Amino acid sequence: MQKTSSALTTGLIAIVGFLTLCPVVMLVLGSFSSELGAFGAFTVEKYVAAYTDPAFAEILLSTVIFTLGSAIVATGLALFLAYLNTRTNIPGKFMFGVISLIPMMVPHILFAVSWVLLLNPSNGMINLFLRQLGIEGAALNIYTLTGMILVEGLLDLPIAYLVIAPAMSAFDVSLEESSRVCGASNWRTLRRVTLPVLRPAILAALTLVIVRSLASFAVPSVIGMPGRIYVLATHIYSIVATGYAADYGMAAAVGMSALAASITLIVLYRRLTREGEKYVTISSRGYRPSVIDLKGARYPLFAVVALLSFVLIVLPILVLFYTSLVPYVMTPGAKAFAAMGLRHWVTVLRDPVSLLALKNSLTLGIGGATLGMILSFFVAYVIVKVRTKASGLLESLSFLSFSFPGIVVGVGFMWFFVQTPLYSTIWALLIGYIATYLPYGLRPLTSAFVQIHSHLEESSRVCGGGPLYTMRRIVLPLLVPGIASGWILMATMFVRELSLSVVLSRPGTEVLAVQILRFAEDGLWGRLSALGIIMIFISTALVIIANVIARKLSKRD
Amino acid sequence: MKKIAVLVAMMMLAAAPCAFAQSSVEKAKAEGKVAFYANMTSVEPVMEAFQNKYGIKAEYTRLSTSKFIATILTEHAAGKLTADVLQAPIPVMELLKSKGVIASYVSPAAAGYPKWANKDGMIQSFGIEYVALIYNKDLVKAADVPRTYQDLTDPKWKNKIVMADPATHPTTISWLVGLRENVIKSDAEWRAFLKGLAANNPMFVASFGPTPAPIETGEKLIGISMPKYIVTKAPAPLDWARVSQPMMGTPRAIGITAKAPHPNAARLFVDFWLSREAMKIMAEQVGEYVLAPGVYPPIAGIDKAKVIPIRELSDDEIRKWGAEFKKIFAK
Repeated sequence: MQKTSSALTTGLIAIVGFLTLCPVVMLVLGSFSSELGAFGAFTVEKYVAAYTDPAFAEILLSTVIFTLGSAIVATGLALFLAYLNTRTNIPGKFMFGVISLIPMMVPHILFAVSWVLLLNPSNGMINLFLRQLGIEGAALNIYTLTGMILVEGLLDLPIAYLVIAPAMSAFDVSLEESSRVCGASNWRTLRRVTLPVLRPAILAALTLVIVRSLASFAVPSVIGMPGRIYVLATHIYSIVATGYAADYGMAAAVGMSALAASITLIVLYRRLTREGEKYVTISSRGYRPSVIDLKGARYPLFAVVALLSFVLIVLPILVLFYTSLVPYVMTPGAKAFAAMGLRHWVTVLRDPVSLLALKNSLTLGIGGATLGMILSFFVAYVIVKVRTKASGLLESLSFLSFSFPGIVVGVGFMWFFVQTPLYSTIWALLIGYIATYLPYGLRPLTSAFVQIHSHLEESSRVCGGGPLYTMRRIVLPLLVPGIASGWILMATMFVRELSLSVVLSRPGTEVLAVQILRFAEDGLWGRLSALGIIMIFISTALVIIANVIARKLSKRD
Repeated sequence: MKKIAVLVAMMMLAAAPCAFAQSSVEKAKAEGKVAFYANMTSVEPVMEAFQNKYGIKAEYTRLSTSKFIATILTEHAAGKLTADVLQAPIPVMELLKSKGVIASYVSPAAAGYPKWANKDGMIQSFGIEYVALIYNKDLVKAADVPRTYQDLTDPKWKNKIVMADPATHPTTISWLVGLRENVIKSDAEWRAFLKGLAANNPMFVASFGPTPAPIETGEKLIGISMPKYIVTKAPAPLDWARVSQPMMGTPRAIGITAKAPHPNAARLFVDFWLSREAMKIMAEQVGEYVLAPGVYPPIAGIDKAKVIPIRELSDDEIRKWGAEFKKIFAK
């Protein structure tokens, strides 16, 4: 057993290391190269220039506030929603499950633009509405750090939700029952028992959202820039955009601080969850998540969630739908409603490139997520159950390309793939996607793995079950919610992936997000919205399919 | 008799290039394909027209400006540059030329183009990415429309202007410097203009692409943007301010790659691109300002406007001015 697991660890380190190190090594080379490419004479000038910039301190401060704020908003909301959804008898559960995932499916740039249309201080729809109510000067301004945090937090809500929900649903009822037997109230039980046991999942969600918002570009550019608030990603953009010969080596030099921050977080995370045994909740005894009766609070809480979902998620989607129907972006009114039509939809559905992009993205979403989950499964197993120094290395490796700001890591992959025959094929996209978004598959799985006590496996093996049999009959069925979450995160991510695609996609391998970016660059918001909604439909279908399959699989046993 | 001889000679002269052209078309057809790298809106109609005319597959790879040079140099260094023809702003083409990516070619189709449009026999300008003050014609009264660029400094435009970030957006930086060199000749006046513009607290966006949206929704009333959006975003209520000064922009250029995999198809494509037929498609469908004589975008008044190319700024100059503008426009 010891032998197999160390061979497995080595093998996985080789695979994951190859996937994530190659682009990063190219970026490191580029950051020390005096040329524009990865290969040039050695120089540290790029680091000196990047880190002696007087504006850098202020940018770092905004970045810290932005990423921490987004992580807290996303994780807090996710805890609230996941708790109500998995542990209580709140009505309309299925709906909440889908709604908390929607931001994962919307192209981020569109979601951000929707919020600008709703909340810009000049004529944002909500502000116009407030003014009509006679609340003068009540202009809510989206172009602030608070605005950025709110929108980014919402966009990253699904990540947090998908990490926390499986852990929440795999909760051992006896823990909470013991607490209640000892006379603790529901609230005290939640605070003293439920949340502490969920610590690995909560920390995983926070880590993931911080790293993701660090790399995020849509919100900082659409909302931050007009408010003149710069964070790391927009700072890197300005390095790349000022002048025609973009210096990605210099951008990579700045990106290294994002990488350092992410690795620190991973190390911290491992330290904080070191005593793995503490978080085991599925041991051999009766495991069945209990449902808490909300009683009188059922409908008021439902109303709160419904309102929250409406304002935060449904409203921006409605704005998108509206934008796809009007000839240009108009403020709603009689004139706008008279001019509505399906012209943008017709244009998009007749455009051969958009249709090809649709097909490619769907293939990459389903195929990539499936392959990605197979790899994630083994990696998660090693990270959680082997817990050696090597498995720690594996965990850090899995975060390498994920933690680079998008515009930079795409170029790293280009520098790498151009040396291989995979360049400009769909395989480059597939491999790049899996390598970059491995944490999306890993996080939900590891937090689910953590909760399964090794007694379960040991019992099976004592009874004569081989390792594969034990895996198939005992471990896998308990992991189904985590696997489903990871698959959903990966598939929806791949359907809307932009950072790598924009660099690696070529004629014939066009994907949806690149097509959307083209519409955005040309300012064609109508077509952009139409294609964005089609994207949301596809992702929703994928999520529903994944949920149905997951439900069937976990019922079978 | 003499007349007939002259006529015959003339016919032979006319036929010779024609025959030559014929055979190069055949060669291009044998190559079967042309790969085009660019970053332009809706060039698909031009690609399609080429494909229909010659039966040669035209493949379009769109690379955004910030990734253009990085991608092409990476592919070039690895010997994997599949592009036959490149299209980009002049400074980009100049940089690629200095790295040996561009081949020599002077297209006969550029015969009527202005002299400045081809200086080196390699890079051919065919249009100008013209910049203008674009405003919402539903919300701005005719009397209020600026008559000079300096009118933008009027306090009535406070919080009503949108523009690309003058600290980072190369075209906007070049345009502001171009104003100093071509329009507002006095340095003091130019600096007063910048200060006045900054005092009106314009909203910054990343590039020209996002400039028209806030104008059409009425979030802002006017912007430093491009007239082509009047065509591409019709029926949005956009119009351009007919200022008394000339319009300016960075020239757009085209060239063939040094190691083009389909060299004959590449030349044929460039010839077609520069032809009146293709230029008309670009002007009419995408609102491009083109250099083919007598071809104009369908925007009222553009045919009368003076549109001049701005000097190409080096990246060092762009960064230097970007940093300067960052200070001037700081809140």
